[in-house]
Amino acid sequence: MFHPRKLMNFNQIAKAASIALTLVSVSQAAVSVGERNVQVGGFFSQGYIDTNGNNYPFENSSGTADFREAAVNVSTTVGAHLRIGAQAFAQRLGNYGDDKIKLDWAVVDYNIRQEFGVRVGRVKYPKGLYGEALDLDVIRPFVFLPFALYNPVVRDFNSSFNGGMVYGTVNVGKGGSLDYKAFYGDIPMNPEQGVADFFNTTSLYAAPGVTELGMDSTYGAHLVWNSPVNGLKFCASYSALDALYANGKFAAYPAGNVSLLLKRYDYITLSTEYAVGLWTLAGEWQKAGGDTVVGTPFGNQLGKSVVHNWYASVARRLNDRWEVGTYYSSQENKKPAAGTPNKATYNRDWALSVRFDLNEHVTLKLEGHSIDGGYNLFNTVRTPNRTLKDRTTFFAAKTTLVF
Amino acid sequence: MTIRFLKFSLLLAVVSATVAGAAPALIGNKNVAAEKLDSATVKAVFLGKKVSWDGAGRVTLAVLKAGPLAEDFFKASVEMSVSQFNNHWRRLAMTGGGTAPKAFDKEEDLRKFVAETPGAIGFIDSGVADATVAVLTPGA
Repeated sequence: MFHPRKLMNFNQIAKAASIALTLVSVSQAAVSVGERNVQVGGFFSQGYIDTNGNNYPFENSSGTADFREAAVNVSTTVGAHLRIGAQAFAQRLGNYGDDKIKLDWAVVDYNIRQEFGVRVGRVKYPKGLYGEALDLDVIRPFVFLPFALYNPVVRDFNSSFNGGMVYGTVNVGKGGSLDYKAFYGDIPMNPEQGVADFFNTTSLYAAPGVTELGMDSTYGAHLVWNSPVNGLKFCASYSALDALYANGKFAAYPAGNVSLLLKRYDYITLSTEYAVGLWTLAGEWQKAGGDTVVGTPFGNQLGKSVVHNWYASVARRLNDRWEVGTYYSSQENKKPAAGTPNKATYNRDWALSVRFDLNEHVTLKLEGHSIDGGYNLFNTVRTPNRTLKDRTTFFAAKTTLVF
Repeated sequence: MTIRFLKFSLLLAVVSATVAGAAPALIGNKNVAAEKLDSATVKAVFLGKKVSWDGAGRVTLAVLKAGPLAEDFFKASVEMSVSQFNNHWRRLAMTGGGTAPKAFDKEEDLRKFVAETPGAIGFIDSGVADATVAVLTPGA
């Protein structure tokens, strides 16, 4: 039987294919542009995901091709120290993104010397090993980075910030080198972003959910030690979101408003990666949390949010075309609300991936997930899960064109 | 048997020629010749961490897209394979962190680009280097 939903998927794929062809044309044009000290690059990816169990990480219970990303960037240099550039980005993840084109990054970078540079504008957010490279399919075998640290639904929120960063690299002789970054700015927020569903799923807000989201500022530091052992590096990141708030109509009393305020939400992330021969081993641990204030017409309620996230991954390149990888990813809510079922306090995910490089520009990936627990699974308008099931499995396929 | 021996001999000859001829030479525009270079500086330059010379303007990288010469050079200079090097630069270029190297299929085109571009640095087979470029020898 031919399902109308499947027909829609074929139409979506056809639309995606036409976009890809357009981008291939752009990539061919980019060569002549590049000779004039202007570089043009980008990528386009189209995926398919089908879940059994809960809708996760986004709505796809009938299988969906609403899973794609595209970006085009332009950059140039002026003189010995100045570089400017920008990237437009669009994505569709289930009911998030809607293929709307947004400014992903736009920077003015003045590199005074190797040890010190300044970057201002809309800047990629450094956190962990891959925080700045969330959608760079080409650098890994996985369709999805481990959800514990890199939830794709918040990609439209935490991938960049508006502000400034200082950065540099300091050689430490036989000890290798240290890369550092320190930054300050803010992240514009709105209820259309995926991050809104982390609030909407709390049951505090009347449908359709939060009406206002925002924060005062974000800041942090990122330190990478490139050890003297070839391919081995260690990373420590700290970042904070100050006065993060979400306002909306109170579900229990829709005539009144409710606000959830996180005075300061901190992330402490420790990471290591070891690329040795054909193997890439990585592991990251993160503690996230902060004090919460829920304001209702009937008074304020104080609380605390503490989440521990970690994963370990292994990838091996088999030859020029094939690569395989696997990871185990864990999220655990250390301060669940009273009465929360145990199964809803954790999320443990096994993933297995296969990557095939058709050529240097086109990559194909297949991935399977087996997830135990229901933490961070939404029940919202955009990602409905009216009855949370204990286990979720899903299959994802994705192809990426990079130029 | 004779055919198999001939095939093996031919393969050996090709491999020997490749190994013998594939000695990468670090080359630069002539305005780069006066720059102080050591192995740490070369690594920082090719990884995009050092983007300007002390007296020769902006660094412009020129690399070969693939091949044994590129594999040898990247392994010796930045301790990466060609694939790892390309991914390193894709990551930088796609995240606003750097300007990707100019990539060439032919050594002759690379040499010509380096010769004509102030601040350019690259690598070619030592046999292809000529007087139009500076052959650079990093210190310890």
